[in-house]
Amino acid sequence: MIELQSVTKDFAGVRAVNDVSLTVEQGTVAAVVGTSGSGKSTLLRMVNRLIEPTSGRILIDGADTAGVPAPDLRRRIGYVIQDHGLFPHWSAARNIATVPVLLRWPRAQVRTRVRELMEMLQLDPDVIGPRLPHELSGGQAQRVGVARALAVRPELLLMDEPFGALDPVIRAQAQADLARVQKRLGTTVILVTHDMAEAIRLGDRIAVMRAGRVEQFAAPADIIARPATPFVADLLGEGDRAFRYLSLRPAADLARPEGPGAGPAAGDADAPPLSPGTTMAEALSEMIWTGRDHVRVARADGTGGTVSRDDLIRAGRPE
Amino acid sequence: MNGGTRLLILPLALSPLLPFAVFRANRIAEAEPRSLVAALGGGGAALAVAGLAAMIGALVLARRAQVRTVVAAALVVAILLAMGWAAARLTAGGPPQVRVGPGAGFWVALVSAGLLVVDARARLHPRPAMRLAIVAVAVAIGAAILWSGALSQLSIMQEYGNRSASFWREGARHLWLAFGSFAAAMLAGVPLGIGLTRARRASAPVLGLLTMLQTIPSMALFGMLIAPLAWIAANVPAAHALGIRGIGAAPAFAALFLYSLLPIVANTVVGLTGVPRSVTEAADGMGLTRRQRLTSVDVPLALPVIVSAARIVLVQNIGMATVGALIGAGGFGTFVFQGIGQTATDLILLGALPTVALAFATSAVLDALIGMLPGTAR
Repeated sequence: MIELQSVTKDFAGVRAVNDVSLTVEQGTVAAVVGTSGSGKSTLLRMVNRLIEPTSGRILIDGADTAGVPAPDLRRRIGYVIQDHGLFPHWSAARNIATVPVLLRWPRAQVRTRVRELMEMLQLDPDVIGPRLPHELSGGQAQRVGVARALAVRPELLLMDEPFGALDPVIRAQAQADLARVQKRLGTTVILVTHDMAEAIRLGDRIAVMRAGRVEQFAAPADIIARPATPFVADLLGEGDRAFRYLSLRPAADLARPEGPGAGPAAGDADAPPLSPGTTMAEALSEMIWTGRDHVRVARADGTGGTVSRDDLIRAGRPE
Repeated sequence: MNGGTRLLILPLALSPLLPFAVFRANRIAEAEPRSLVAALGGGGAALAVAGLAAMIGALVLARRAQVRTVVAAALVVAILLAMGWAAARLTAGGPPQVRVGPGAGFWVALVSAGLLVVDARARLHPRPAMRLAIVAVAVAIGAAILWSGALSQLSIMQEYGNRSASFWREGARHLWLAFGSFAAAMLAGVPLGIGLTRARRASAPVLGLLTMLQTIPSMALFGMLIAPLAWIAANVPAAHALGIRGIGAAPAFAALFLYSLLPIVANTVVGLTGVPRSVTEAADGMGLTRRQRLTSVDVPLALPVIVSAARIVLVQNIGMATVGALIGAGGFGTFVFQGIGQTATDLILLGALPTVALAFATSAVLDALIGMLPGTAR
C-alpha cells in the first residue's frame, strides 16, 4: 500500500505539487491523468525520490521512504519512462539485468531471471537478448524497459507515460500486455498519462491532476458518471462519455439466455457470437455498423446470450 | 577511376621529367639536380618509366579499391627502392663525403603515390580491426625497407648512420615528452571535465582559461615557464632531485601538458553532457549510485568523444614536442634545429620524417580504436 500524505513540491517558488494525499491499494493500478505542467510527473518522481518533496510524507507499507537511502529505495521500485531510457551501450539482456547485477545476484540466477522476464513479455531471449537498443523496434524497446523495471519483482512499479512514444496499434498491444502482466504478478502500479482513454482502460482508480492539485480520485466509472469538476468533465470529453462508460463493462453482463423458450433470436442467427471480452461499447458499435438491433455474445463459461440495443443504450446512462 | 585518383595521376605521370635525385659533393655543399636518366642510367630509367606507366595504367583501369590500394602501395615501395638504387649508383666510386638525396621528382612521385594509397584505402571502408592491420603492415614494410639496407647510401640514412645512438635516444625522449604529457593531461583533464559537469558555474571560467592558454604561441609558453620552474628547482629540493629545471624537459613537458588540457577537458564535458537525459534518468531511477552511473553509464557513453580528444592531443603533442628542442628538451627537434644551424637539409629531414610518420601512425591507430568502442554508430 502506498500512501501520499499532504505531499507538496516547490520549484524556485513555484508550487508544482500542492498538498496531495492519495492512497494506492496493494495490487491495484492508479492512473494519474493531467495536462502537461499539472505536476503529475513530479508527483511520480517523488515516490522514488528522484525529486525530494518540499513537505509531506510518502509511505510504502507504512514505512516512510525518507528513511531509506535513495538508491536502495529505487532498486525496490520499478521505473519505466517514455523514451524507455535503455542504456545504448548494453544489450537488451544486460539492460534487463541492471538491478539484479547491482544487487549482486549470482550470475546463473540473473541469467534465469532475464530469460523468464523476456519470455513473459514475449521477447525471444536468444534473438532479442543480444541486440543493442538501437537494433530494437519501438515496441520491443518498450517491453525491454518494462522487463528491466520488473527484474527484481518490485511490489511497486512507477510508469511515466510508458506508451507515449508508441504508434496507436502497438500502444494498444502494449497496454493489453501491461494489464496481463500486472494481473499475473499482482504488482501495484502508479501510471502517469495525459491520455484519459488510457487511464480508463488501465486504471483501477484515476487521479485527475490540475495545477498541482488532485481534483478527483475515484474509480473510472465514478469519474465518468460523476465528474467532480468542470476540468474533469473537459478531460473526459463530453462528446463520447457514454461510449467511455460503456467501454468499462463486458457486453456479456447484459446478455439474455438463448435457446428454447427465449423465442427466436432477433438478430442474424448465422452471425458468429462476439468474443467474451467484448465491451458494451464494442457491441453497440457492432450493432450500429451492421444495422442489427441484437447481437449474440459468447460467455466465458461457453454458453451464449443475446444483447439488445435498447439494453445497451439504457446501460450507457449511469443511474 | 574517381576525381581524387585523376587529380593525382597527372603529377605522378609528369614526375619523371623532374630531377629524381640531388647530388652534393659533401653534406652542406650546394645541391646539383640529377635527372632520372642520370640517376638510374639509361636502361634503369627506361625500366622505371615503363614500370610507372604500367602501374598508372593499372590504377586507371582497376575498378576495385583493394586492387588500387595494393598497386599504389607497391608503387610507393618501388619509388623508395629506386631512390636507394640511385643513391648507390651515384655514390659508387666517389669519395665518402659525397651525398645523394631525394630530388623534386622523387618527392612529387612519392607524395602522389602516398595520397593514392590513402584515397584507395578510404574507399575500402575497412572495419576497425582491418584498419589496425593495415597500419601494422605499413609499419612492417617501412621497417623492412630500412632494415634491408636498400636505402643505406641515401643521404638521410648516412646522417642516421653517423648519429644512430643519439637518434634512438632523442626518439625515446620525443615519445616520452609527447605521450607522457598526454597521459598526465588525461589523468588531470578527465576528472576535471567530470567535475565541471557537476559544478556548471565553474565551467565557463575554467574552459575560458584553458582556451587562453591554447592561444599562447608555443615558444612564448616555453619562455614563460622557464622562470617559475627555475624558481621551483632552486627552492624545492624534491623537484630538483626529480630533474626539474628552468630549461630542458620540464618546461616542454609542462607546456605540452597545458596545451593538451583544453581538448581533453572540453571533450569530456561535451561527451558527458551529450548522454541522453532519458538514459541518465533511467540510471538514477534504477538505483545506480552517482559513482556507478559515472563508471558504467556516463563515461562509457562519453568515451568516443573523449578518445577523439586523445587523438587530437597526441598528434598535436608529437608535432609540438619538436619545438621543445629549442629549450634543450631533446626529441627529434634536436636534429631539425641542428640541421637548420648547419644548413644540412638531410639532417633536418632526419628529425622531421620520423615525427611525421609517428603522428600519422598514432592518428590511424586511434581512429581505429574509436571505431571499436561499443555504442559508436557503425
